[in-house]
Amino acid sequence: MPFSTIATPEAKPVANYKMATRMEGGRLLYVSGQVAWDANGNIVGKGDARAQARQVLQNLRGVLQAAGGDLKDLMKMTTYITKVEDRPAVAEARSEVFQGELPASTLIVVKSLFHPDFLVEVEGIAAVAS
Amino acid sequence: MPGVSVNPSRVLFTAGLTGRTPDGKLVPGGMAGQAHRTFERLQAILGHAGARFDDIVKQLVYVTDIDAYNASGRAERAKFFGSTRPASTGLVVRRLADPAMLIEVELVVDLAGAPQGKPLLEKYNVEDHGGNFYQGVIVNGGRLLYLAGQVANNPDGTVAGTGDWRRQAEKIYENIGHVLRAAGGTPASAVKETTWVLSIDSWREHSPPVRRAFYNGDYPASTLVEIAGLAQPEFLVEIEVIAAVA
Repeated sequence: MPFSTIATPEAKPVANYKMATRMEGGRLLYVSGQVAWDANGNIVGKGDARAQARQVLQNLRGVLQAAGGDLKDLMKMTTYITKVEDRPAVAEARSEVFQGELPASTLIVVKSLFHPDFLVEVEGIAAVAS
Repeated sequence: MPGVSVNPSRVLFTAGLTGRTPDGKLVPGGMAGQAHRTFERLQAILGHAGARFDDIVKQLVYVTDIDAYNASGRAERAKFFGSTRPASTGLVVRRLADPAMLIEVELVVDLAGAPQGKPLLEKYNVEDHGGNFYQGVIVNGGRLLYLAGQVANNPDGTVAGTGDWRRQAEKIYENIGHVLRAAGGTPASAVKETTWVLSIDSWREHSPPVRRAFYNGDYPASTLVEIAGLAQPEFLVEIEVIAAVA
C-alpha cells in the first residue's frame, strides 16, 4: 500500500472510518467531486439519495480505476449531502462498496450542490501505485 | 478533469481566497467583482511559488449564490483558467467569512523542481492580511497526512461539549493534536485546515483563544465555511486537516 493508516487510542473515529492516512509512496490522485451522472450525462436517481450515492460511488471507482487504482487506494473521502436525513441511505450505499473501514472521512451538509437535482457529491484523494 | 494525479514531490496548498482587498474590505461589483479579485489573488499566490493556473491539480469553489456564479462568476474564472481543467468540486454553502461574500476558492497545485535542500514546509503570505493563517503553504517532499474531519468526540464515543462552542473547539484541537502526534507530527505540521461550522458568528466568539494556543503562531492555510449540518446533530464544528511529516 502506498499509504499507512494512523490510529491512536486517545482520539477515535465516531464511525467505521480511518482517523488519518499518511502517504508513503506512489502518485497523489485528486478526484473531482463525483455526482450521480451516468456516462451520457443524465442524472441517475432523481429524488433518491441512495440510488444517487450508488452511482456516485460507481463513478468514483471508475475515476480511480482509470488512474490504475481502486477504492482501496483512497486515503480521504469527503461526502457532501444536501439533506441531513439522507445520511443513513448514503452511509448504507458506502458500506455496500467498501470492504472494512472507510478511508479518512468527512461528511458535510451543504445548502446545495451545483445542480438542484444533485443530492450527494463525493470527492476523494488517493495514493495510487506509480 | 475527473481526476488528476501527480508525483507529490512539491505541492502547494492555498487558503480559501475571497474577493477582499488587503484591508479586509470586499471589492464592489457583486459576483463578477469578487470572483475577479479572488482569482487575481490566487494568481499572486501561485506566482510566489513559481506556478501558473496550468499547474493546478484541484480546485474547490464555494459559493453562496449558484445563480450569480453561473451568471457572472464562471466567466471571470475562465479568464484566469483558460482551457485548464483541474479536478474540481463546487459547493453552495450557507455563509462565508463575511455575510456579503459570494465566492471563496482554494487550490492544490503541483510545483516544479526538486524538494532537496528546501525546508519541508514553506508558509507564506503575499498580502499583509493580518489574519491567523497563511495564504499559501508549500510542502517540499515528506509525507502528506490526511485527517478525517475531526469532531468533538471522546474516545468512548460520547460528544464533548454538547451546545458548548468553546468546549467543542478544545476537544477537536486536542483530538487533532493526538492524531498529528500519532503520525509523527506536531500542530506546526498542519498545512491546510478547513473548518466547517454551523455558525461563523459563534465560532468567532468562542474559538480564537483555543486555536491560537494550539498553533502558537505556526498556522496552516485555512478556510472557514458555514454549512447547514454535520453528521450528528450535537456537532457544532468539524475540522479537516492536511499535514505533512518528514
